Amino acid sequence: MGTSVQVTPLSGVYGENPLCYLVAIDGFNLLMDCGWNDLFDPSLLQPLSRVAKSIDAVLISHPDILHLGALPYARKHFGLSAPVYATEPVYRLGLLTMYDHYLSRRQISDFDMFTLDDIDAAFQNVIRLKYSQNYHLSENGEGIVIAPHVAGHLLGGTIWKITKDGEDVVYAVDFNHRKERHLNGTVLESFVRPAVLITDAYNALNNQVYKRQRDQEFIDAILRVLRADGTVLLPVDTAGRVLELILILEQYWAQQHLSFPIFFLTNVASSTVEYVKSFLEWMSDSIAKSFEHTRDNAFLLKYVTLIINKSDLENYAGVPKVVLTSMASLEVGFSHDIFVELATDAKNIVLFTERGQFGTLARMLQVDPPPKAVKVTMSKRVPLVGDELKAYEEEQEKIKKEEAVKKASIVKVEEVRATSSHLSESTKGDSMVIDPASATASPKGSSHFRGQMDILIDGFTPPSTSVAPTFPFFENTAEWDDFGEVINPDDYVIQEEDSNHMVVNGKSLDVKPDEASVHLLLDSTPSKVVSHELTVQVKCALLYMDFEGRSDGRSVKSIISHVAPLKLVLVHGSAEATEHLKMHCAKHVCPHVYAPQIEETIDVTSDLCAYKVQLSEKLMSNVLFRKMVENEISWMDSVAEKTNEKVLTLLPPPSALPTHKSVLVGDLKLADFKQYLSTKGVQVEFAGGALKCGEHITVRKISDSSQKGGTGPQQIVIEGPLCEDYYKIRGHLYSQFYLL
Amino acid sequence: MASVVTGAQNKRPNPNSTSAAATREGDQLIITPLGAGNEVGRSCVYMSYKGKTVLFDCGIHPAYSGVAALPYFDEIDPSTIDVLLITHFHLDHAASLPYFLEKTNFRGRVFMTHSTKAIYRLLLSDYVKVSKVSVEDMLYDENDIVRSMDKIEVIDFHQTLEVNGIRFWCYTAGHVLGAAMFMVDIAGVRVLYTGDYSREEDRHLRAAEVPQFTPDICIIESTYGVQLHQPRPVREKRFTDVIHSTISQGGRVLIPAFALGRAQELLLILDEYWENHPELHNIPIYYASPLAKRCMAVYQTYINAMNDRIRTQFANSNPFDFKHISPLKSIENFDDVGPSVVMASPSGLQSGLSRQLFDKWCADKKNACVIPGYVVEGTLAKTIINEPKEVTLMNGLVAPLNMQVHYISFSAHADCAQTCGFLKELMPPHIVLVHGEANEMGRLKQKLVSQFADSNTKLYTPKNCQSVTMHFSSEKMAKVIGKLAEKVPETGESVSGLLVKKGFTYQIMAPDDLRVFSQLSTANVTQRITVPYTGAFEVIKYRLKQIYESVESPPVEETEVPTLIVHERVTIRHESDTYVVMQWSADPISDMVSDSVVAMILNIGREGPKVTPIEEKTQEEMERMARKVVHSLMVSLFGDTKFGEDGRLVITVDADVARLDIKSGEVECENQGLRERIKTAFGRMQGAIRPIPKP
Repeated sequence: MGTSVQVTPLSGVYGENPLCYLVAIDGFNLLMDCGWNDLFDPSLLQPLSRVAKSIDAVLISHPDILHLGALPYARKHFGLSAPVYATEPVYRLGLLTMYDHYLSRRQISDFDMFTLDDIDAAFQNVIRLKYSQNYHLSENGEGIVIAPHVAGHLLGGTIWKITKDGEDVVYAVDFNHRKERHLNGTVLESFVRPAVLITDAYNALNNQVYKRQRDQEFIDAILRVLRADGTVLLPVDTAGRVLELILILEQYWAQQHLSFPIFFLTNVASSTVEYVKSFLEWMSDSIAKSFEHTRDNAFLLKYVTLIINKSDLENYAGVPKVVLTSMASLEVGFSHDIFVELATDAKNIVLFTERGQFGTLARMLQVDPPPKAVKVTMSKRVPLVGDELKAYEEEQEKIKKEEAVKKASIVKVEEVRATSSHLSESTKGDSMVIDPASATASPKGSSHFRGQMDILIDGFTPPSTSVAPTFPFFENTAEWDDFGEVINPDDYVIQEEDSNHMVVNGKSLDVKPDEASVHLLLDSTPSKVVSHELTVQVKCALLYMDFEGRSDGRSVKSIISHVAPLKLVLVHGSAEATEHLKMHCAKHVCPHVYAPQIEETIDVTSDLCAYKVQLSEKLMSNVLFRKMVENEISWMDSVAEKTNEKVLTLLPPPSALPTHKSVLVGDLKLADFKQYLSTKGVQVEFAGGALKCGEHITVRKISDSSQKGGTGPQQIVIEGPLCEDYYKIRGHLYSQFYLL
Repeated sequence: MASVVTGAQNKRPNPNSTSAAATREGDQLIITPLGAGNEVGRSCVYMSYKGKTVLFDCGIHPAYSGVAALPYFDEIDPSTIDVLLITHFHLDHAASLPYFLEKTNFRGRVFMTHSTKAIYRLLLSDYVKVSKVSVEDMLYDENDIVRSMDKIEVIDFHQTLEVNGIRFWCYTAGHVLGAAMFMVDIAGVRVLYTGDYSREEDRHLRAAEVPQFTPDICIIESTYGVQLHQPRPVREKRFTDVIHSTISQGGRVLIPAFALGRAQELLLILDEYWENHPELHNIPIYYASPLAKRCMAVYQTYINAMNDRIRTQFANSNPFDFKHISPLKSIENFDDVGPSVVMASPSGLQSGLSRQLFDKWCADKKNACVIPGYVVEGTLAKTIINEPKEVTLMNGLVAPLNMQVHYISFSAHADCAQTCGFLKELMPPHIVLVHGEANEMGRLKQKLVSQFADSNTKLYTPKNCQSVTMHFSSEKMAKVIGKLAEKVPETGESVSGLLVKKGFTYQIMAPDDLRVFSQLSTANVTQRITVPYTGAFEVIKYRLKQIYESVESPPVEETEVPTLIVHERVTIRHESDTYVVMQWSADPISDMVSDSVVAMILNIGREGPKVTPIEEKTQEEMERMARKVVHSLMVSLFGDTKFGEDGRLVITVDADVARLDIKSGEVECENQGLRERIKTAFGRMQGAIRPIPKP
């Protein structure tokens, strides 16, 4: 009986690899997160590629690469077409994060894992939910209800509760129980006894310092450097933890009236903050409150300057400043470049606020002791000049000629197969040929282009079965505004006029509502990537402070034992941390703790029996409930009766049934009991784990280690010599319970 | 069958009644409008079911002032209300909230959406400031509003919350920014309260959603009755045409509009129109509302509550950052030199800036007044729609009304077609109409009755304080879980366990499972008590055997010390020469047994070991004893009684002589009566002195 639940990790167990898990509930396949790492290593996605097609829904929990980075790639290459569920901020900030990563990659390499269009396509079918919204899945998933709840780690961050037939499966990774400046703490603790809890062991071995002390140290470290004329580099994520850091800095700068400039540099910095401003309802109560009372939007930044171009920093070359910039891994992007510039000067500091991903430059720098020198690859996209430009132009010319030939052939084919759809097809063909998106300008571009041309030709050899010629169809997602379809002016440029117009630098020219990409798009000269390796002497200070916003090991343990799941699945965390938490939970939380390997399917179907009955009115009128906290409870004796095939009704018993063994209901805390007794005038003290009441009576609780997870009743012993006190204290003890 | 009953308080379950009483009358669901019943204004609808109480909206009537403007709060006991839900920030839906929170004994929880709460604060502060009434008539002041802010909790669209077993969530209503329709679920009965809603998407708001689930009851607004709105493009064109032609003739345009809600929509229309007509760029547009200016930040922030169109625009520039419209502080700052367009509040022209401008401009026929929305009965705006010849100015003088008056409704209330369509999709079995004037409501009711003629839909149009009562027979279903559910019982088999009720869900489980399925836990209390005793342990055993059927003594090898177990409950161990230890698990019967054992042991101690075993008597002696007893008893009953020679008893009563054979019980006597009496007496004696015959 019960709902069948299977969990299969696809990535991110016994290690810090991206998160991606398959949860099958009665045959409905839910993909929990779809992460990738900053290096975009396709080998990590192997397990996903094998199951991507069978997935029915994707649930995303956080807007960062580790949780959603593989969405565009999986959609493009693995045929992952299931609807994606996420909260509004996860959708929006996740999209910006993907743009930022793409643009950073693109700047230094011919990155072709996915394009901006793929990102857009992947995010197009995201269904956006609100916190605590119970969303009823339909079709195959009939009966399954999914609900996002506050996770606390990132803005919009989600712990997912999946319910079927009253059984809860809770997926909670990267949660934070502490309230922060911009986020509320997680509500995970309000879930009690879910059938399955899937959580991470990432922080099981870490314990955090006191928050206020950490904040002060953080500010001190920054100010020390600034006052010594140094520059502080904070490699951060695109739109996640950086928000908290910005608020800390803003707040401190405002308090102390500091004038050191702060820059927030990502490819999408201004859009990020603009959107974040409109996500107040997702943030902490205090931010919401301050807006309600004074209409002060916390993200109306006064001290932090948003820039999307590294060149904007040049004016501040020698000035002490704080730079928050994306790509926490330091692998690519602005942070990489700025690091190389800063590293050689001992005045500067690189302040890490999160652990670097495995195998990245950031991780290398975080080891203790830090390396003296690191090898880095500097890559730059430079415009083509001289011979190269000439060669490129010639090549383009050649392509153009070929194109013309192709075009002629298109026309020919069309003439031959003149159909009613002639017109539309020819226009389609035309726009395709001059579609700048397909023309890549890098030195490799020509061959790339040729590949597409091949496809074009393929398209024109219609399969024998087809009735009409099929064209390779590139879906242009048309955007509409009040004036009709948004057009791309470049589509209408006459090619022969100026070859430069056609030769673009390989960026998608789709109109994006993101002005961040615009500066790259405007730059339309042919370019290439130049790389050279160099060794950077790391002289600047390196510091790591934990601003990851995850619950620490101790809290994780106490939260898990409070939630007390019937079955627990541990994922994401080093092998050591996973084992540690597994041992701990098996001892203190529940006997069923699993930590599966990649692609190992574990069955966590609950062995719970249940059936439904109808309570007859007659029976209920005899029941006298007692109220306990949120519950009302009563003993009930009844006789079952099958009224029809399905419904089982409970009726009052015809005659008195034999008395049942009485049950004491209640939760006795010795400390509370002590307090209670002292208010009743009994002398009471703790002695050797037992409560000594009066002169002779002791009350103690027996913690039975064989009772795993404390699922059995509590064992309480009261002992003492026969005396009046004994009966008095026993009376007090009884008053702590309900007798049923 | 539901009925309309006057007097809500009679039907309301007594708050003091026990929960048992509440379950008995619990199937009755009561809806009572405390305001907005057959009227527009002071929306407030009371609902009660199964001892749970919800209040929807808490408005004031804009045409009245002071306590008279409040809904009929005295019909209910505010302390019994569990949840108060506010649909949107308009005064007729939210303005009595500070009063209700601060001046009554209401102790429940209040919810509204984020944007509603942000605007509520600004709007009511403004309302307190501008309403120029005497101090006694002031319902509350600024401090009350600030205090009320701390009590108001926020809910996001679609977010499901649960309070005291009442589950509720809200849908987009499309009326103003943050307007919500609330769905309340109490024990499986769903009630939808639409508040003000509009099914038409406009420039910045989404249309009202159609809920996923059909409610059992739909409480719906009926403001526009059977009227139909013109299509939006037509209305917009009329609006811009009127304004364009007026200003091109050198006239001024007054738009009396409420500061928030429709005003933002109209400003979006005007800004766009000016953008497209460069020839108008020298004509100023003013919105004379500092309040609207203050609320702009809210509009700029909560774009996620608006439609996709605004959100797309937002990516480029803020659509609420108007290019051709400037704010106007007061009439003193207004340089009235030529054609202009002024949007001013209040919408009803009762007082304030809109009235000042109206008084100034009403006599000139070049000018125009465009009334852009619903106007409440009893206001000047309502009067001038009928275009009277003259109007009374604020200073009491009468002036001719020459300015043109246009009524172009941009009101974001549903019209008849929208209401019918909405209800047709939902098909609720019960429909309650509120928020509409009696006539309009009546017409709408007729229309709906004919529309739903062939379905089983019931329609109600209660007046204020008239209760609508409906009955829902809810079947209580429980889930048997855990060990108790391992086997599904057949008819006649018993099911016994703990019945745990949380909210409106029931679970039945074995006591051992309580900890597994709920936050509750069970406990075993082991009691161990030492009782002083110096005598022989055997004596205790012997005494116990006299009292209890089951006294067992397990072999000493197993227990180390001599041990007795009484009724498998209480264990007595002879641990030392000076005391015995008793141990048992607490429960009423064991406690009783243990108490008696303790009492017995203490008694042994007190009496000392003077117990003498009774000698076994022979059959013969017993017989002799019996004869003696019978003889003496017969003497006491009948007097002269002797033993005869044959061993029989000779009883002489007056003249009659009877002979009784003690062994067989035969009686020989001529007097029938005496013989029977002796026989009966002897039978009783036998019963008393002889052991009970073994069966």
